[in-house]
Amino acid sequence: MMTRCVVDPMTRIEGHLRFVTHIENQVVIDAQCSADMFRGIEKALIGYDARVAQQVTQRICGVCPYGHAEAAALALEHAMNLRPNANGQRLRNLIVGSYHLQDYLLHFYALCALDFIDITAVLHYQGQDAGLLTVRDWVKQEMASAKVFPAAPFLPRYEAAYCHDPTLNLSAIRHYLEALPIMATLHRMVALFGAKAPHPVTIEAGGVTTIPSLDSIIQFRTWLIPVAAFIRGAFRDDVTAVAQAFRPYFAEGRGAGHLLSYPFFPDATGANHAFAGGATLNGQYQPLDINKITEDSVRSYYSDQPDRHVKPLSSRHLTPIDWAQFNHERAQPNGKYSWARAPRYGGAVMEVGPVARIVNTYHAGINPAVTSLVNQYNQALGLTLADYPSVMGRHLARLFNALLILDRLEQDLEALVPDQLGFIEQPVPRNAQGVGLTEATRGALAHWIATDDQGYIQNYELIVPTTWNISPRDASNQPGAVEQMLIGTRIQNSAAPIELTRIVRSTDPCIACSVH
Amino acid sequence: MNSKRRQFIQRLWQIIVAAGAAQLFNFEELLAAPTAVNRPRLLWLHGTSCSGCSTAFLDIEQVSIVEILTQFVDVIFHPDLSLATGEQVIHILDHLTHHEDGFILVLEGGIPIKYPHACLMGERPMTDWITQLAPRASMLIAAGTCAALGGIPKMNGTVTGSMTLREFLQYKNINKPLVALPNCPMKPEHIVYVLLHQLKLGQLPELDELARPIKFFERTIHERCIYYADFQERRYAERIGDPGCLLKLGCQGPVTHNDCMRFGHNHNTNTCIRSGHPCIGCASERFPRQIMLHRYGDRRAIHNEFDA
Repeated sequence: MMTRCVVDPMTRIEGHLRFVTHIENQVVIDAQCSADMFRGIEKALIGYDARVAQQVTQRICGVCPYGHAEAAALALEHAMNLRPNANGQRLRNLIVGSYHLQDYLLHFYALCALDFIDITAVLHYQGQDAGLLTVRDWVKQEMASAKVFPAAPFLPRYEAAYCHDPTLNLSAIRHYLEALPIMATLHRMVALFGAKAPHPVTIEAGGVTTIPSLDSIIQFRTWLIPVAAFIRGAFRDDVTAVAQAFRPYFAEGRGAGHLLSYPFFPDATGANHAFAGGATLNGQYQPLDINKITEDSVRSYYSDQPDRHVKPLSSRHLTPIDWAQFNHERAQPNGKYSWARAPRYGGAVMEVGPVARIVNTYHAGINPAVTSLVNQYNQALGLTLADYPSVMGRHLARLFNALLILDRLEQDLEALVPDQLGFIEQPVPRNAQGVGLTEATRGALAHWIATDDQGYIQNYELIVPTTWNISPRDASNQPGAVEQMLIGTRIQNSAAPIELTRIVRSTDPCIACSVH
Repeated sequence: MNSKRRQFIQRLWQIIVAAGAAQLFNFEELLAAPTAVNRPRLLWLHGTSCSGCSTAFLDIEQVSIVEILTQFVDVIFHPDLSLATGEQVIHILDHLTHHEDGFILVLEGGIPIKYPHACLMGERPMTDWITQLAPRASMLIAAGTCAALGGIPKMNGTVTGSMTLREFLQYKNINKPLVALPNCPMKPEHIVYVLLHQLKLGQLPELDELARPIKFFERTIHERCIYYADFQERRYAERIGDPGCLLKLGCQGPVTHNDCMRFGHNHNTNTCIRSGHPCIGCASERFPRQIMLHRYGDRRAIHNEFDA
């Protein structure tokens, strides 16, 4: 018997996501993801000054604004034929790198941990930790109250098989509480050189406008100490322990496993990156070729050129369908069902994110730190590279990314020169084009810009990590990456399909980014 | 009163002091502040938002967000925090619509009117959700520039017909107390202050004609700028990194009302101007403007530029 299982709204992700699955004999046989929010920012940028793209595109997302700031700056620098000086690059790395760490902690603790960890375990807590006692007493009080929704926002939840290990449950809940001030500290570190977080203003084409002082460098280092201890201690322990406790999840949510990444985290010259760009298709790595990137909108809520594979910057229009057409499309069996478009790489559906960065860098062999970390964990946990595109592989790869970026932050901070401007000024380029490639925590991010004869934006295009992951079907009717991850999943209880929400959350969706 | 609670109240007090609101409350009054019985209930929704105001809310430091959740407000639903997902959420919201009132509704992001399908939750447009839920609320908070003043979803060139929360209430003839807290993202101290004010004094703080608390938004960035003396002496920066007033590099400080120069961002770690960048006016009615970082001597117009 076939049942239909809908999760809408999907919470603890960024934005408005709906997914619909069809289940036969407890196995998902079909899945559709709908990105349910649209603002139309990329074409609205036409007519704004080229530098405005940096400030506006980062407001596409309040979770990964740093990625858009950097990609926009890189695109404009490409159009200007300009590279920041060493101090500018290092400042940018410190802002972007700190933000990556904040984003990994936000994703693991605030968004995902309570999908695995049993929050009600706190009721049995007997120790002296003030945070845990506060939560325990509060949950007890709430449960005893006459409230309609006691212990919100922690209840209600899907009642399912959570972690049974009382020690792990309690230590992870304690770290959940401790992670929040660590995340605020990381945002302060972003603000130190970026002015504020979310939405740091200082990353501009040409470098970073902040002049670092000895004081600010010392302050950054002081804040980095507890952050580093938390990431190398609590975060590492929790991710590893959850990975071991939920080992079958290395086989869940695999999808097609084709992996796309862009070069990320440059050294001071901008020439060498900590993470490699490239594409791994069927386990075979190949260098990046951005000319293979196209997008279509056959199943997306737009009326322009819906059946054509469109290359970036080839159209200045993106016309949404109206309310009546929307309702018509939603009623069709093969109608449009998402605001996200369908990007493809040489026609292939690609997964982007932490796994792509790790696996592609491993294959490219450019970073010995990546190679040794992967080898070490593969041996300890009995994994191969093929296990990484999976629910637990994604969580583990995020840990690797955090550990690697933390090392690089410490190095960049050491080399930063106080009282030296890291910004090179140039006029905005006229009649120029550029592309900026980087990685947000959730994956490969590209901006394309074209300017007019006065330096205003003539056209702008974004292809964003979650657009790759959450994309709808394309002109060849291939399901998107997350849709493929859901198909084939066995679920225990279609009224509480936690297997599916764990899969979707493992990709760290950002719907505001995906549609923009 | 146990010592744990007293410590919590002490840190709450620090926020009040940091927000410059010490004259409104005294510490003893706060000791009688929220208990399990009179805690305000909070419902947080995302319009066409980026979740930036939600992540900024998590950054509140003097009291942890967990203390806020357990001792200060009942967060009935928050899209990024709630374990409830899918139908459980719709059940909560429908229950609020039909059986509850008196909760505080926080909206982040704009409300698209012309294309209602540009913001959906449970297949229902945000226009429907707000129309149903706002009349049940005791007060509404427009969190951040998008909900308060228009911001990014309403920028020149967008087509969805985005409205601010205030515009939407007028459009639907819903009359409810409303506070607008612009800044991109919202400053977390501002919402904590508003909630405390409502809780303690049973009313909203004094507001200006755009529903912004006068306490935070009475003065412009420019009036309190560290470079105000340079401005008066006409010492202008000509390049990024120069000392002096940033006006000629496009600074929006003179047309942006907010308290950044007093209380900074991220626990007063920094401000845009202190970090060498002109104010981009992210709390202003006219955000985003056509040019933000303006090259000295660039002849292109600096005023708002698009033909309205």
